Amino acid sequence: MADWDAYYHNEDDDVEQEEGEESAGDYKYSGRDSLVFLVDASKEMFVKGEDGEPSNFDMTMQCVRNVYTSKIISSDKDLVALVFYGTEQSKNPRNSFKHVYVFHDLDSPGAQRVQDIDKLRGDKGAQQAAETMGSGETSLGDALWCCSNLYSDIKLRLSHKRLMIFTCRDDPHGRDSARDRQARTKAADLKETGVVIDLMHLMKPGGFDVSLFFCDIVSPPEDESELGMQLEACGKLEDLQKRVRAKEMKKRAQSRLTLSLGDGMNVAVGVYVLARTATKPPAVRLYRETNEPVRTKTRLFHTQNGSLLLPSDTKRAQVYGNKQIVMEKDEVDEIKKFDDPGMVLIGFKPMDRLKRHHHIRPALFIYPEEDQVTGSSCVLTALLQRCSERNVFALCKYTPRRNTPPRFVALVPQREVLDNSQVQVAPAGFHAIFLPYADDIRTLDAHVGPTASDEQVDKMREIVHKLRFKYRSDAFENPVLQQHYRNLEALALDMMAPEAIEDFTMPKVQMMDERLGPLVQEFKDLVYPADYNPESKPAAKRKPAETGGGAEKKPKLEVSEEELRAHVQKGTLGKLTVPVLKDACKQFGVRTTGTKKQELIDALVAQLS
Amino acid sequence: MARASKSALVLCMDVGFSMSNSAPGQEPPFDQAKKVIQKFIQRQVFAENKDELALVLFGTDNTKNPLAQDGQYQNISIHRHLMMPDFNLLEEIENELHPGSQHADWLDALVVCMDLLQKETMGKKYERLNIVLLTDLNTPSCADQLDVIINNLKKAGITLQFFLPFPVDADEGDDGGRGDGAGPRHPPQGKGLSREQKQGLEMVKQVMSSLDEEDGLDEVYTFSNAVERLSMFKRIERRPMAWPCQLTIGSSLSIRIVGYKAVCEEKVKKTWAVVDAESHQKDDVKRETVYCLNDDNETEVQKDDTIQGFRYGSDIVPFSKVDQDQMKYKSDGKSFAVLGFAKQEMINRHHFMGSQVIKVFAPREDEHAAVALSALIRALDSLNMVAIVRYAYDRRSNPQVGAAFPIIKEKYECLMYVQLPYMEDLRQFTFPSLENNKKFAPSGSQLSAVDALIDSMMLVEKHEDGEKYDTFKINSIPNPQFQRLFQCLHHRCVNPGTPLPPVDPWLKRILDRPQAVSARCQAPLQAMKKCFPLKEVVRKKEQKTSVDVFGSGEEPNAKKLKMDEEDKFNLAEISEGNITSVGSVNPAKDFRALIQQKTIPFGQACEQLTHRMEQLLGNRSTDYYMKTITCIQAFREQSVKVSNAELFNGYMQSLKRSIPDRNLQDFWDLLVQDALTLISKDEVEASTVTKQEAEQFLMSEEKKEVEAAPAQDDGGDVDDLLDMM
Repeated sequence: MADWDAYYHNEDDDVEQEEGEESAGDYKYSGRDSLVFLVDASKEMFVKGEDGEPSNFDMTMQCVRNVYTSKIISSDKDLVALVFYGTEQSKNPRNSFKHVYVFHDLDSPGAQRVQDIDKLRGDKGAQQAAETMGSGETSLGDALWCCSNLYSDIKLRLSHKRLMIFTCRDDPHGRDSARDRQARTKAADLKETGVVIDLMHLMKPGGFDVSLFFCDIVSPPEDESELGMQLEACGKLEDLQKRVRAKEMKKRAQSRLTLSLGDGMNVAVGVYVLARTATKPPAVRLYRETNEPVRTKTRLFHTQNGSLLLPSDTKRAQVYGNKQIVMEKDEVDEIKKFDDPGMVLIGFKPMDRLKRHHHIRPALFIYPEEDQVTGSSCVLTALLQRCSERNVFALCKYTPRRNTPPRFVALVPQREVLDNSQVQVAPAGFHAIFLPYADDIRTLDAHVGPTASDEQVDKMREIVHKLRFKYRSDAFENPVLQQHYRNLEALALDMMAPEAIEDFTMPKVQMMDERLGPLVQEFKDLVYPADYNPESKPAAKRKPAETGGGAEKKPKLEVSEEELRAHVQKGTLGKLTVPVLKDACKQFGVRTTGTKKQELIDALVAQLS
Repeated sequence: MARASKSALVLCMDVGFSMSNSAPGQEPPFDQAKKVIQKFIQRQVFAENKDELALVLFGTDNTKNPLAQDGQYQNISIHRHLMMPDFNLLEEIENELHPGSQHADWLDALVVCMDLLQKETMGKKYERLNIVLLTDLNTPSCADQLDVIINNLKKAGITLQFFLPFPVDADEGDDGGRGDGAGPRHPPQGKGLSREQKQGLEMVKQVMSSLDEEDGLDEVYTFSNAVERLSMFKRIERRPMAWPCQLTIGSSLSIRIVGYKAVCEEKVKKTWAVVDAESHQKDDVKRETVYCLNDDNETEVQKDDTIQGFRYGSDIVPFSKVDQDQMKYKSDGKSFAVLGFAKQEMINRHHFMGSQVIKVFAPREDEHAAVALSALIRALDSLNMVAIVRYAYDRRSNPQVGAAFPIIKEKYECLMYVQLPYMEDLRQFTFPSLENNKKFAPSGSQLSAVDALIDSMMLVEKHEDGEKYDTFKINSIPNPQFQRLFQCLHHRCVNPGTPLPPVDPWLKRILDRPQAVSARCQAPLQAMKKCFPLKEVVRKKEQKTSVDVFGSGEEPNAKKLKMDEEDKFNLAEISEGNITSVGSVNPAKDFRALIQQKTIPFGQACEQLTHRMEQLLGNRSTDYYMKTITCIQAFREQSVKVSNAELFNGYMQSLKRSIPDRNLQDFWDLLVQDALTLISKDEVEASTVTKQEAEQFLMSEEKKEVEAAPAQDDGGDVDDLLDMM
């Protein structure tokens, strides 16, 4: 449990790689996360809701699939298993347990597994499940025992073990106290070995009574106030997903630091990353013959004598004003050192001093680390309350690690926010907002132009009003990433074509037009003269706007269409110069893929022949 | 073209004999002026802009200027013509710039500078022409030509700056009015000015105020002030690049816009090149990347024989660059398309993504666009809303979703765009509640201690006029990384072979808590310390990390081990292959090594191993159980190897008997899972156990619910077991 502090996520490192020094993924893993889905496969799970609502089983499969795919994207080293209980058929490693069906054993999820799950979704999926597994007797104890075997069969070190039970039966053994007792014992055993057991209880007619049985099975909440148990049963996929997502990832501190208030008063805080741009993972080099990954080794050689250079045989240099300045590698590192890692409180400022446009990096999240310095939580809680009530933020100097120059951050108080169903939406703590230095702010000459009249503003207000929507920060998927993974999925599963993605970043033009109706034209009539066309940018741009550009533009070298066609036919386009070709492309509205001569020629030929 | 704008500047320094004069204990003006130029040139060199610079000296012993004729313009020498400054110039100044014994009229020198600027900038385009005069004004000058000079300066658009050893308003006893008041004051010299100086000062005032009526005198600096101000390296200036685009709402409403990066984390422009340690030649070092298979020989393969692939969970999918380009997400060019409008409070500040803020204006000279954009800005502002937009810089870049906030300033209006997160970017971590936790709930006195601390550490002060004043503005602090880098580069360049200097004190100072605040918060901090007991948890984990390095599991509680054994183990580990006993960190490995090396008899090794196992089992936790299992595996495997089943089987049987008494059922279950049973005849002939018996050995107990007997004294059992051996 307590191992995760030794974990540093490489992707979170924002060390500047100034020299392109090799920094190949040197993950320091102290173990892998694991997650077992233990899903009830009894008949009750397959009952469809009223008016065609998906069955609990279907919902669960949807959820599991989501976790699989998100694990693939975000943490492909984590291990996931899917086990059904209450099945007719049995399938488990030593086949020592009846009515337990290990569908996927603990392993990192891959394309095949996603496909397997897909087969269990929908009406066909229910049928498939009935055929392969069926529904039979239930012994949660056996199921839990089987899961504990899954854990112990893993030779890898597991850092975090979680088990999620999906069921809609609050009394799985139907008052069979022996089985209840066995299940309790097994659950206790699992918990003792560090497995956290969660219950994802689903809707059932008459309500799910956790206290009937499951309260003894699940792990006690992380702290006395956690509201886990009071939760209502999940009736909606969305709720279930939210609940699973909140639990599925083990939170990890990027680092643990001391926050020094001054005069030797130090508290411990963890630095968490709650938002960081997700990027495509780097490509892996594979050997063509076998498709096995190859390792890359980078070595430095002496050009003259071909000898291998050790790091100590090299120095670092920069050239300024025709002069080379040479330093040792250590010195280059030392230059970046100002303070030891940590946060130092400088003072407080009213919130209105935090300018919205002072943004240079995504924020971090600060939470006390009670198990490093006891009393930290109390200090931070008191600070949080007072900062929040007095509407001030704390200004800190932040040195993330050794040999890193300091940055200043605004610690903005964040009170805990819960949603209607008591799920935490925002945790209590401080957001660390990075503040720009003088060098980071650019001087702009603001464009000063005429302003709009009240009538024009009112019209735009109507437009804005028509296009209101409720923004949610998790509403947009990254189309580039999604496409990338769909492509991989298609290749991995030998699909004909990747599944189409929905690009949420594209404006829903048609819908917008419909909603706006005549408003757009009315607005345009108010602000634009009849002959003004905002789309025609190049023509308008050449107007008097660009002044003092120095040398006069060369007279346009235009070629007529006939000439061009003649060139295309004779294949003599190459005789024309690049500017001429470019102009020609523009003239005929040809989109080019590049600005190289051959690319221009190709584009023209494609258009005109 | 417009990007290549640069300025031309002439440094014109008085080196005449009066510059060397100074009151005892004071730095002569010459030295001060020299420092000013050095610092200034340094800044220019590191800024690496295209600005050109010339150096004219007057009061020199020799004469070197094109105007020198007929005894006119004597003792004025052009030291360097207009060109980009470099370290050579700095070295020349360091080594060759000495006080002269003559004196020359500073107005004459000014004329030489103007002439130089005129001639050497001919045909080229400069954004700005500037002359900087550094003098003590202690030479008689002839004011006849003053009007002509002023007119010419105006005509040529040349600006002037003066650096003097005394403040321009010295007469009034004030301090030039500049600077933040820190640093040494220059001595009061008001009455000490010579007649020439007073006369010169009048002329300076006349020149400066006729060039710029209001602020002309602001361009007159004192040496000491200048040195301090110039210590700060110039902040890196970047010309904002215009990004023309169209803001679209639906299919038919578009507004022409221009975007500029307004805030963006500035990185060091130059990177360090790797050079050979001896020759200092970059070309002597060649970087070679080789690819090798993950086999024992690390077989190298050619780059051409490798292809690209991506991880998809546990799979690695070969995916060539060509295919990737073909299949990747394609965006259709730059865009700034409104997706809809949302309430400002729905946008969390801590969800700002990306590394920049873009300000969006209407194009200059396009009134219609300006009006249309203004209508949008004002509409959003009045409704307290933002536009959610899809932003794509160009065809090749990835699209973003972001928010465009309305900004209405006194002088201008614009939209401010900032990127917002994608679903994949967010991590939904749930943290234990802080405020609902009674354990952490602060008391009333604790809260008031925090209040007192906040009060004492406010960085915003109210001035007498009611204006609030920020005493610690981050956005006026230069990036210390750049300052420090340039300081070190400069030091290394000028003083090669000496160690790097410490961080400049002024830089340290501006990064620390202001002294006034430190003083104020003393008492509240003491109170805080009293109110909030803090205790550092002694970390047992430190040990674990060292074990991690050795690639082994947990280390048993140190209390249980004798220190000498611990030492022995460490030594053994260091001189691998010289293991003399079964250690506690990796007993299985040690055991195997001992058997292989035959350092001690088999029986003795087994005894040591079982001893360790009993220690491990005494801890009763899964991690120790797992470790014990590995020991048993090793024990079994080695026993089979040396065909000695007796010891192993004997141990296992006694172990099994002791399970109920020692409450080790969990451990036994693990053993069962791993099918670690007795060694049968099939494996070792000498064994007295049949295959069937071996199988039953584990089976028989399986379904019996073991009643948890009260744990007995472990020690006794251990001894019994050991006696068996």
